[in-house]
Amino acid sequence: MIALTLLACLFAAGPVIWGLLTSFKTPTQVVSYPPQLWPSPTTVENFAGVWRESNFPVFFRNSVVVTLASVVLCLALAVHAAYGLARFTFRGKTLLMLGILATSMIPGIAILVPLYNLSVQVKLYNTLTGMVLVYTAWNIPLVVWLLKGFFEKVPLELEEAARMDGCGRYKCFYLIVLPLARPGMLAAAIMAMMAVWNDFLIGFTLAVSEQKRLLPFGLYTYISNVGVDWGQLMAATVLALLPVLFAFLIMQKWLVQGLMAGAVKA
Amino acid sequence: MSSPAVPLDLAALATKRPRPKGTSLPAVFIAPAIVAVFLVSIYPIFDAAVLSLFQTRYAEKLRFVGAANYVALWNDASIWASAGKSLIYTGASLALVLPLSLGLAMLLNSAIPLRSTARTIIVLPWVVSQTVVALLWAWLLNADFGPIAYAAQSLTGSRPALLASPVGAMAALIVVNVWASYPQATLLLLAAIQTVPGELHEAAHIDGASAWKRFRFVTLPLIKPTLQVVLIQLTLLYFNMVTLVFTLTGGGPLAATDTLALRVLKISFEDWNLGRGAALGLVITAINFAMSALYVRALRQPAQVA
Repeated sequence: MIALTLLACLFAAGPVIWGLLTSFKTPTQVVSYPPQLWPSPTTVENFAGVWRESNFPVFFRNSVVVTLASVVLCLALAVHAAYGLARFTFRGKTLLMLGILATSMIPGIAILVPLYNLSVQVKLYNTLTGMVLVYTAWNIPLVVWLLKGFFEKVPLELEEAARMDGCGRYKCFYLIVLPLARPGMLAAAIMAMMAVWNDFLIGFTLAVSEQKRLLPFGLYTYISNVGVDWGQLMAATVLALLPVLFAFLIMQKWLVQGLMAGAVKA
Repeated sequence: MSSPAVPLDLAALATKRPRPKGTSLPAVFIAPAIVAVFLVSIYPIFDAAVLSLFQTRYAEKLRFVGAANYVALWNDASIWASAGKSLIYTGASLALVLPLSLGLAMLLNSAIPLRSTARTIIVLPWVVSQTVVALLWAWLLNADFGPIAYAAQSLTGSRPALLASPVGAMAALIVVNVWASYPQATLLLLAAIQTVPGELHEAAHIDGASAWKRFRFVTLPLIKPTLQVVLIQLTLLYFNMVTLVFTLTGGGPLAATDTLALRVLKISFEDWNLGRGAALGLVITAINFAMSALYVRALRQPAQVA
């Protein structure tokens, strides 16, 4: 059992560890054969090279901007929609919910062409703004679904009590319900953040110039350029992996539980 | 503002519950999100449908050609070949990932030391983007400097250039895909396994059932619904996957890994035939819906009592 567990952990972490070790190796050691496990001497020149000699900082910065902006915007829109869907019933609500569910069934690859087309027409092609808008809308179904479940668990009596005290409907939402939703919003924000940070296709479709490129597309073009400096490439992937890894380690307990709770509902 | 700790007369609240009449709050709250989703996810499908009926040059519609794009796709042998690649990719990945995930879920359900740490590590591939997955594995599988090539040479005496051979590239792609996707399946199955009541296992154990029999006749039937959901989710995921294939093999060598989804990307943004790319994208969407419907119908059969 323990042996199996160790094997599984090695399988899971192996590729990441190998990349990590490579990123600290000197160029000569990177291409040595037979391959050596441990970097000796360890060097940070790969990381320095990635940061100083390539457009990596531009890609990184673009991803940070687009991710933060789209997640904030998405949360703003989704938190309202989730509350509305959790608390109110109205004609056509089931249809609406099914509609939102249906959009998540559309494969991303099918909307790339029309998204490209639309972005060119509204002159948002090759802009960070265009990408922010697309990612915002793209994540709404997921975040609404997460937050709706959260809001449904907030006791109605809390709002009723506040309302009896003369609190208006809107005020009631912003002052009482919303603060209670903070943990749910944090979790949803992390899920959305990971989805945007890791995405390749939308960045590939909507941006063509190097200055507007997002990180995953930037990493991809790293290989297409003159030769492959594997040490530097591994350093670049490590840097790209750090934010999501960090977020995952903080939230892993909640994320795992959330995923598993979703399974039970299914 | 009263504090939530104030004792509430719930009965009174229940009878006098003020139902808002004609409040505009739901519409105001829900509309912006719905509009956004419509603009970015629903309208594009219609736009794609229109685009697919035209012969295009870049983003420009040249002339209306009706179903010509679809007919061209039907007559294109390479499209059928790509469909075959998609089938192989999806089928082989499923065949590998399901037993692996089930096994890992059972492992993580058992009493192993440092169980939650192990779970965190085992789930690690889930946070890695498809791009980074492809790059990490491209390096790991490197025929000149990679440890896997070295291990193969120590064992068999020859270094396999996996990614350079058609069969090897598909095999590598499948293994990498399994690595990248088993965590989500494992977690879902683990959750399902944990809902199986312990008493059932104990009862079977007392009756003398072996571990395998307990799994086959107690666990498996009870987790079947989740297994079905996982099956559908993974099938659609694999069929629609583009980034991993694009980054690791680019569809090569010699179109060995040129899946249908990847073809949409290539037709649209390498050949710049947007009309035909849109058409293929819609075909893939239709296949998605058909597969989901088929699955739901096929799996709705009554569970057999073992």
